[in-house]
Amino acid sequence: MSRLWKLLSGPEDIGQSAWFWVGFAALIIFFLYYPAVITEFEASSISYYLLNIPLALGLCLLWGYAGVLSFGQVAYFGIAGYVYGVVAGNMIGNPWGPLVGSIAGLTASAIIAAIFGYFVFYARVQMWIAPILTLVFTLLLETFLGQTAGYQWRIGSVQLGGYNGMTGIPSFQLGKLVFFGYSFYYYVLIVVLICFLACRMLVSSRHGHVLLAIREDPVRTELFGYDIRARQLVIFVIAAVLAGISGLLYVQWGNYITPTQVGLLQAALPVIWVAVGGRDSLIAVAITTYLLNWLTYALSSAGNQYALVIIGALLVCVMLFFPKGIIVTLARELPRRGWRSAFTER
Amino acid sequence: MPSPNHQEPAARYMDNVAIALSVLYQFGTNGAFLLLSALGLIVILGMMNIINLAHGELMMMGAYVATTAVQRGVPFPLAVLVAFIAIAIFGAIFERLVVRRFYGRELGALVVTWGISLILSQGSLLVFGPFMPSIQIPGGSISVGLYSFSEYWLALITVAIVVVFGLWWLYNHTTFGLQARATMQNAAMARALGVNTDRVYMLTFSLGAGLAGFSGALLAPTTSIMPFMGQQFVAPAFITVVVGGATNVITGALGSSILLSLVRTPIGFLFGSFLGLVALLLAALIIIRLMPDGISAWLQRYLDRWSRIRISA
Amino acid sequence: MAEILATEALAKRFGGVIATDNVTLKVMPGELRCIIGPNGAGKSTLFALLCGIHRPDAGRVLLKGQDVTFLPAFRRVRLGVGLTFQNNRAYHHLTVRQNLEAPLRPDRHDQPKDAHERFLYALKLFGLDPMSDLPARELPHDQLQWLEIAMVLAGGPDLLLLDEPTAGLSPDETLKTARVLRHLNEAGLTIVVVEHDIAFVREVARKVTVLHQGRVFAEGTVTEITAHDDVRKIYLGRA
Repeated sequence: MSRLWKLLSGPEDIGQSAWFWVGFAALIIFFLYYPAVITEFEASSISYYLLNIPLALGLCLLWGYAGVLSFGQVAYFGIAGYVYGVVAGNMIGNPWGPLVGSIAGLTASAIIAAIFGYFVFYARVQMWIAPILTLVFTLLLETFLGQTAGYQWRIGSVQLGGYNGMTGIPSFQLGKLVFFGYSFYYYVLIVVLICFLACRMLVSSRHGHVLLAIREDPVRTELFGYDIRARQLVIFVIAAVLAGISGLLYVQWGNYITPTQVGLLQAALPVIWVAVGGRDSLIAVAITTYLLNWLTYALSSAGNQYALVIIGALLVCVMLFFPKGIIVTLARELPRRGWRSAFTER
Repeated sequence: MPSPNHQEPAARYMDNVAIALSVLYQFGTNGAFLLLSALGLIVILGMMNIINLAHGELMMMGAYVATTAVQRGVPFPLAVLVAFIAIAIFGAIFERLVVRRFYGRELGALVVTWGISLILSQGSLLVFGPFMPSIQIPGGSISVGLYSFSEYWLALITVAIVVVFGLWWLYNHTTFGLQARATMQNAAMARALGVNTDRVYMLTFSLGAGLAGFSGALLAPTTSIMPFMGQQFVAPAFITVVVGGATNVITGALGSSILLSLVRTPIGFLFGSFLGLVALLLAALIIIRLMPDGISAWLQRYLDRWSRIRISA
Repeated sequence: MAEILATEALAKRFGGVIATDNVTLKVMPGELRCIIGPNGAGKSTLFALLCGIHRPDAGRVLLKGQDVTFLPAFRRVRLGVGLTFQNNRAYHHLTVRQNLEAPLRPDRHDQPKDAHERFLYALKLFGLDPMSDLPARELPHDQLQWLEIAMVLAGGPDLLLLDEPTAGLSPDETLKTARVLRHLNEAGLTIVVVEHDIAFVREVARKVTVLHQGRVFAEGTVTEITAHDDVRKIYLGRA
């Protein structure tokens, strides 16, 4: 039991005391009871803010803990979503189709990430090449999916749909239980919670410690006997699976997906969420992802076309003035280091 | 139509020449496209180790400036020059305000320039709307046999080569180039020798931005003018730079655009332009697996072997 | 097979510079060997060849009887070698605790049984607190050097290869380092140190190898070496 506590409350993330967990539990309880007082539409919106969290957590692990910046996490979001759409779409009528589709989607993301990651990490390239290649990969994916309009672009009975995207994607269901509206909300909440706790346990484990060492000085870590390329590849695949989980939740939420989900603008978003919250902390990233998604939605539904410009400007300001992220700076750096050095990068 | 077997030998010879020229032309235009797309990026990466993700947007702005100038009656070559100057000035301001805080923080520079690119592209959309009428391609075309070659693209190939040599000359045979190389190798030492490194950084970034705008303006007639047009250059530009490597960005970019064009031309010809782009990415992945520091590093090793210094022990 | 570390006619050149020239070395288990020589003698290159950072142009490197000449560095470490470097390479931005947690490798089956005791012993002698949340870069220089040695010990090596571990240390700190290394050696750890500082060498070594211009110039005990006329000459630059 105490080992579990150590894993969940290790010093690698903000929030280690019992008080933190009390607050955390209170938050979860609030989320559990909230649907009783809101409409199904509002619950659905909250589901959307929540479902992006695994994607952000994956990037946080990759960038904040392992030191690998990937601009193309959304590619794995899209791959999982599209593969689910194809598999589940071909199994409509089968109550276990969505489950099979989900497994297929995550497996596809994992395998493609493994192959791509092999080329990037085993080539021992300079640090700036990984971000660029992941970006190029996701751009190419968007271009590819965009030109799949036309009837010949179908797998089984499911059309890929080109720039209009794939519609009619089945919701998630387990046997007779279909997840929609309020039930979907609870499903997302539980999935996100499990992802978050699993990530926390990972970063406080031995593997997490080695990742930090790789981030700091890959050569020195290698000279302690670790195979850093393999470890980087593994965390890259884990991040891809997390992105895939968000992708699955997305198509199960909206029942459609378009190539813009893997495009340049969408690719920028996880980087913004992680940078603004603070890439060193999982909880900071989770909170920021929720809040920024809510903000973007609030801005664009208020008719504000400047939503993306504001978000871009937010990123620039944070990089200039809160290099460690807003939440991390306020919650950890200020108390620890005082006003002078809290706002510097290192 | 006479069957090939009944053609005169002279006519068949002309046919083969035309095919050969066409292939050469394709190769040249692909290479020029890669080189022009990567131009501004290589200056900034090579000299300052900054990855500028707003590169596509700088090219877009160059295209917009040139297009607007032409619409107001400015002759095209002058419009390109205006674009170069305008984006160079923008680059200088951008460097002063934002970029200089990120020297030594490569990943931070990546992220912040991405934020800027978001602001620029979205902002463009809001200010100019989704489309702008594009410029006609200047010049006509030359015909050889069944193929026609655009005079403009031939000019672009020449311009690309000339500019690269101009850059090489600038960095190896001028005082500025010397100062820039010194600053890049050891900024503190350069400062100790009296080089104004702040100014060198600003001018270098400005040059890189200006070149991006210049390329954008040159490529403007070949494509449609939209706020997100920079995107089409980002992937090829970065692939060219990644394969070229940072050891010597000029030889790297030249070598890289030649090599990648060798890959892209046949594949694009046989399977279409999208697969040509995919082939680029695959080629890049394989090349960096074999030569992790890019082509320029590999070339450098050969150059080093040719100039071995013998030191008596 | 008795040697734990051996080289045979090792050679390495960089362009026209012969950095290592026909170096044959044999280190027995339990030895505490110092490799010394004036600047430019090729100590760092030899160290890099022993670690696996460079590949030799000729000759072999043998670790516990196994030919590791072409084995990459991280695989040699897995055979039970600990390495520290001239420029301190602890994780400066991580805390002391994080630094000490990183290198623990419990999955080596042939770890010496008292490896963990050696590690704790070194921590105690150096005065390092394994639970400290102080960022490593805020440690004084001597503690930073000792931290790296402790980190390497955490991996339970049989052989320690140290490159100028006393760089930047005061005479007192140098002496302390020497004493700790001697205690560790008496506890069974084979240690090979590339060093400059004669005081350290005197305190520590039983056997010394002198390099000059990439070649093994002389080998012997400390007394023999320091009394050797030619050795003094090469240090003063008259050979």
